[in-house]
Amino acid sequence: MRITQGAFSFLPDLTDEQIAKQIQYCIDKGWAVNIEFTDDPHPRNTYWEMWGMPMFDVKDAAGVLFELNECRKTYGGRNYIRVTAFDSTHTWESVRLSFITDRPAEEPGFALDRQEVDGRNVRYTTRSYAAMSRPEGARY
Amino acid sequence: MDAPTKTTSDAVDLQAEFTASGLADVFDELDRDLVGLVPVKLRLREIAALLLVDRARARFGLSAISPTLHMSFTGNPGTGKTTVALRMAEILHRLGYVRKGHLVTVTRDDLVGQYIGHTAPKTKEILKKAMGGVLFIDEAYYLYRPENERDYGQEAIEILLQVMENQRDDLVVILAGYGDRMERFFTANPGFRSRVAHHIDFPDYSERELYAIGGRILDGMNYTLSPEAEEALTRYIAIRAKQPHFANGRSIRNALDRARLRQANRLFASGRPVTVEDLTTIAAEDILASRVFSGGIDSYPPIRTESAA
Amino acid sequence: MTTTALETKTAEKKRDRYSAGVMEYRKMGYWQPDYEPKDTDVIALFRVTPQDGVDPIEASAAVAGESSTATWTVVWTDRLTACDKYRAKCYRVDPVPNTPGSWFAYIAYDLDLFENGSIANLSASIIGNVFGFKPLKALRLEDMRLPVAYVKTFDGPATGIVVERERLDKFGRPLLGATVKPKLGLSGRNYGRVVYEALKGGLDFTKDDENINSQPFMHWRERFLYCMEAVNKAQAATGEVKGTYLNVTAGTMEDMYERAEFAKQLGSNIIMIDLVIGYTAIQSMSKWARRNDMILHLHRAGHSTYTRQKSHGVSFRVITKWMRLAGVDHIHAGTVVGKLEGDPYTTKGYYDLCREDFVPQNLAHGIFFDQPWASTRKLMPVASGGIHAGQMHQLIDLLGEDVVLQFGGGTIGHPMGIQAGAQANRVALEAMIFARNEGRDILSEGPEILKAAARHCMPLKQALDTWKDVTFNYTSTDTPDFVPQVTAAE
Repeated sequence: MRITQGAFSFLPDLTDEQIAKQIQYCIDKGWAVNIEFTDDPHPRNTYWEMWGMPMFDVKDAAGVLFELNECRKTYGGRNYIRVTAFDSTHTWESVRLSFITDRPAEEPGFALDRQEVDGRNVRYTTRSYAAMSRPEGARY
Repeated sequence: MDAPTKTTSDAVDLQAEFTASGLADVFDELDRDLVGLVPVKLRLREIAALLLVDRARARFGLSAISPTLHMSFTGNPGTGKTTVALRMAEILHRLGYVRKGHLVTVTRDDLVGQYIGHTAPKTKEILKKAMGGVLFIDEAYYLYRPENERDYGQEAIEILLQVMENQRDDLVVILAGYGDRMERFFTANPGFRSRVAHHIDFPDYSERELYAIGGRILDGMNYTLSPEAEEALTRYIAIRAKQPHFANGRSIRNALDRARLRQANRLFASGRPVTVEDLTTIAAEDILASRVFSGGIDSYPPIRTESAA
Repeated sequence: MTTTALETKTAEKKRDRYSAGVMEYRKMGYWQPDYEPKDTDVIALFRVTPQDGVDPIEASAAVAGESSTATWTVVWTDRLTACDKYRAKCYRVDPVPNTPGSWFAYIAYDLDLFENGSIANLSASIIGNVFGFKPLKALRLEDMRLPVAYVKTFDGPATGIVVERERLDKFGRPLLGATVKPKLGLSGRNYGRVVYEALKGGLDFTKDDENINSQPFMHWRERFLYCMEAVNKAQAATGEVKGTYLNVTAGTMEDMYERAEFAKQLGSNIIMIDLVIGYTAIQSMSKWARRNDMILHLHRAGHSTYTRQKSHGVSFRVITKWMRLAGVDHIHAGTVVGKLEGDPYTTKGYYDLCREDFVPQNLAHGIFFDQPWASTRKLMPVASGGIHAGQMHQLIDLLGEDVVLQFGGGTIGHPMGIQAGAQANRVALEAMIFARNEGRDILSEGPEILKAAARHCMPLKQALDTWKDVTFNYTSTDTPDFVPQVTAAE
């Protein structure tokens, strides 16, 4: 399966040139760009690990791509990597754009557990296959 | 930059390219803003011409690799290295060799950390900020301290060299400092020498040029010199230029700042109403009060070490 | 003049004003051309169409009177109150451009006339009685300036755009939704099938329609149970947070609370209500949503009965303002290009009122006053009704990225099925945002961008072929009265 989080998961995988253009868009808007990675892409796993801190004063996408490549050296092929842009404007002060740049070679996806409870009620639990058997860091 | 269309691609008009890129304005500005520096301006024009030609060649498929653009600027303090670096960034931007054209000016302290593991992130942070523009490393030789084998500067040097080699499209590095020390630095670090394509030497200003610089500074602040003060400034420059710690244009600016201070004191102490003329005129006494004329060194705050260029 | 003489004169005036009998409204203090509205005043702008022969100023003063303290005759009990303060003051009457017989009346109301945090009270005052007033042929509430002092007495949207995006983990693009069709008749099991297919295919949300409540063909609990099965299954299939607006609209508050509680128990992240449940019920549901971390979707069912005609009723921009105060998180605010009423400039005005923290006066967009929102959370506009993937560039250009685009027919009507329809919409959306961010001019290059995206997405190609020529080009009825000069040549 292919997880479809992020703004551009329905498009073919992005080239570095395409990634750079999206990052430049964020930088030109004055947003700070961050690189994050995880081996547990559960839809409610909000806090992916940060690769360093958000880059606040970078003017050119090459600076972010430099870090993305550093991150790939360590986690490429084994983790999901995403780029997240933060807008500090009053009344927003949150993420403005987020998209996946890298995926592990294989994406096992999620299991849906159903627990039948009172009446016809069901309690649902989504679990990452990747996170089920192995600990963090040894999943892909 | 726009790709040439088929119909016009059999010849490139370099003059037209020069005009279209807006470089003429940059050079005009350079001439206007900077006194003297004739050899530097000449080198800049040469480099610009080379880049224009390179660009034209690239269009005909005559050169495939992106040129090395890293540079070294050598010369004494106050000879205009930073100002020229700013213009250089603009020239490179207009020619399309850097995408943004901003200048990030740093010294050793911005690149090298205080403790183990601190240097790499610091250097990378600066490199990221400079990408798309020009990184100006002032007194670059301080990065290299052979007397201390555990010096973290070496780590910064390695990262710099790697990026200078691998990301030539993303940033241009200018290494700057005193000529003799830069020479020793390059000898000890041949990796830098081989990656720097253009060396520009900044000569000291002549006394005449220094006087002209003083005139521009005063113009810019709406002051004029009385005839006696003009004579005093000429003498001041002659003496000061031969003293230690002379920093060319910067020393002149400092001297004039102190003269303004004395003028203000003088006007205040006179106790009489002041006219526009009073307010804009520097008198001879405002300059002659300097310690330079009594054998001292004119510097405030008192000199600690050699100041940065 | 001595002090005593002055006092005598004032006393005489007072006696005149309060002598028993009938008096013109303008003379009773409801017309005060010199009045300067205070920062804390609520200001209302009415479009007044007096009966033939009625003076526009007297008619406007009457509107001020009838929407505040006045009755048809003088009452001495006024004098037991600080009645000068409570009287609404009409301070300006302008002719409506190009519309003989109609007038814009500006009326200021003191803050003390209103109860804190109550749309019911605000609307009972401003539109309570006056719309049936005989000397008027027609009356329309065009706009209101709500002072910060009053705005701050409301909690505003329970969730708001930013927190909604944080909860859904979806940023930088419009959200995609679809209303389950057919509106009526599907069993719970079949209904959930549509939800699952649409969400798995790529939509973020599906939606109950306004009249899906609890009918013989599908009781509400069936709908909720099957829908949540669909949502959870689609979530596991895609790794994305998904949602379906469970309509909790019912006959009584007790029923609505019961339905909302069940939605929460099943783990739904969003519920919906209809505008027809009334302002107080809406505010109650907003309170409930705030307490229960629920996004609250409002379907503006019924609004066109009073918002659409320009001469009489209440403008939708006023309803939008009231709903942002009342605290819903989503509101249907028009599509411009779709099948429902919507002039582009007027619609732009609604969207600004939903999403901006300060909306400056903009007559060409129908915004008559600067409106500060004082950090009230942002209300997510929803564009729905007769739109399809082929219009993606126009929609994003007109509506921006903080909007829910709902392609009901455009998803479910896809020739290759619902998943294919959803996928086509999502690919079109992502491709368009992607191109916009790259600096391309999507309005002019849109069709090319879609065509290029369709090369790696067969369902999009099919969608573009199916609906390529569908448009709804009718003249809007609710258009701005002030036209910017530059657009004349358009």
